[in-house]
Amino acid sequence: MILDKSLRSNSSQNKPNFPLVWIDGLALLSWGILLLKYAITGQYKLLIHPNYYGLVLGSAILLLALGMIKVKLILARSYGNSSEHISLFPPGFGSGLLLIVAIAALLIPPQILTSQTALKRGISDISMSSSQPQAFRVATKPEARTLIDWIRTINAYPEPDAYSGQPANVSGFVLHLKELPDNYLMLSRFVITCCAVDAYPIGIPVKLETNRRDYSPDTWLEIQGEMIAETIPSKDRIDSNITEQRSLVLAAKAIKSIPTPADPYSYK
Amino acid sequence: MNQLHNAFTLFLSLLVEAMPFLLLGVLLSSSLLFFINEKQLIAQLPKNPFLGAAVGSCVGFLFPVCECGNVPVARRLLLAGVSPAVAISFLLAAPTINPIVIWSTWVAFGDRPSLVIFRVLFSWTIATTVGCVFSIQKDVRFLLQDSFAKRLKPVKSCQPEPAQLISPLLQSGSFIIEQGQSLPLESYWSTTIAKSPTLAFKSKLQPFFDNVIQEFSELGGMLVFGSAIAAIIQVFVPRELVLSLGQDTTTSILAMMLLAAIVSICSTVDSFFALSFAATFTSSSLLAFLVFGPTIDIKSIGLMASIFKPKIIVYMLTLIAQLTFIFTLVYSYFF
Repeated sequence: MILDKSLRSNSSQNKPNFPLVWIDGLALLSWGILLLKYAITGQYKLLIHPNYYGLVLGSAILLLALGMIKVKLILARSYGNSSEHISLFPPGFGSGLLLIVAIAALLIPPQILTSQTALKRGISDISMSSSQPQAFRVATKPEARTLIDWIRTINAYPEPDAYSGQPANVSGFVLHLKELPDNYLMLSRFVITCCAVDAYPIGIPVKLETNRRDYSPDTWLEIQGEMIAETIPSKDRIDSNITEQRSLVLAAKAIKSIPTPADPYSYK
Repeated sequence: MNQLHNAFTLFLSLLVEAMPFLLLGVLLSSSLLFFINEKQLIAQLPKNPFLGAAVGSCVGFLFPVCECGNVPVARRLLLAGVSPAVAISFLLAAPTINPIVIWSTWVAFGDRPSLVIFRVLFSWTIATTVGCVFSIQKDVRFLLQDSFAKRLKPVKSCQPEPAQLISPLLQSGSFIIEQGQSLPLESYWSTTIAKSPTLAFKSKLQPFFDNVIQEFSELGGMLVFGSAIAAIIQVFVPRELVLSLGQDTTTSILAMMLLAAIVSICSTVDSFFALSFAATFTSSSLLAFLVFGPTIDIKSIGLMASIFKPKIIVYMLTLIAQLTFIFTLVYSYFF
């Protein structure tokens, strides 16, 4: 075969780079394993919107297949000739970087976003304007609404007094806002549109009978109570001015500590 | 430590979301480069500079390549005698106006459709305009880097046997080494392999596969850099600073254009990078990032220097930067 002969002659030229050819194959395999691990363990939910599960799984399989072909080619000693490519990195650099990141990611699991991130990104109860139509599909029974359902409902009809007296049963993590009095905490959740990078926190202020110090930030709580309308201080997300605003507040009756759920985020 | 872990999680999130699109882009660009016959395509391009530029901007739909892939293609187009209007507009538009980039932009910004639409529209307009402007210069060699221009001349005078006259080291494209000589892959297929269909398919597999690995490794390395920068900015730069920069109409556009030029992230996945600024920066500045980034950044300037004279690259950069700024400023008043 003519082709085989020509490939052989290539391989003899590329021999000095022998360890480098392995890095490409290992980078592909390690990323395939990493994505497969995320897909199987469900950890992908901490990173991206579940809609893209198929993409992640598909990529994992493709990467593993490409990696195996590459290893097979290396073992068969037919290295490619790609000298025509304009290269920015020295050979093996990009793959090396990918390999290091994949190994680090296999060792260090992704972290659940914390109250610290929520405070940094600025909590909001009105920025979900684009999902307003969904408000009409949420559970009609107030006590069956989740935290995100409540926010959608309020966005669809932003009149706090209209919900006064409705029973509520919601879960989320604890957030302490400086501008709120000591007997208030924020019950929050992160909402993901595309991936963890764009996750933003939403929340409902909760009025406690005790001090909020009893519930440290980031603990997960399930709170039963009744909705009331109150005028409370609220901080503007953009210019950080604190103004008094009429808001919907959950007056807590029963508070139960719960373990961090397997999928702690809400998805848009 | 917690902050560092947080940054690492965001970094991973960007990579995991971008990886499928990167892989898809690499697979398609590698396969289409082999399945599309560039010579036939060139013969069908319009001769009028404006039409040429307008069509050239859309050729990206056939070659879904991002910034790294389009330079070799543009070089081949110029060598094959395509007018600079077409080649330049292709170079500037191809990284944005192609199905994969439009899809990934939609995934990231589906809730703001105007960003997706205007990204395509502005990129196309800028690419066509710049292509037309440079078509005024009739002598192509004035635009091109000396060593590249020299290669252009023999190709034009001796069309039939270009491979013999030009040093094989300088030529772009895939090659097969045969009896001590290197032959361009395309001509190798057409002469030797095309006679036997199964052999033709097998012979395409190896260069296709090598191209996939090469681009994946290179663009993946760039993606790792870009994602790291985005995650670090999100976690470690004080929110007040980001907000003060990001909420003003003009400074936010300028800041995002500068960021686009520095980060050099591949256009297939740059929407996800921009997404990390969606909450703190104005829409028009995100648009500026999405339009400017794929055309001019540190990486693509490095690649373009292999075709154009430095002076021409500076002209292009100024023209594109000004157009992007004006367009996105106008956008900011309407949306």
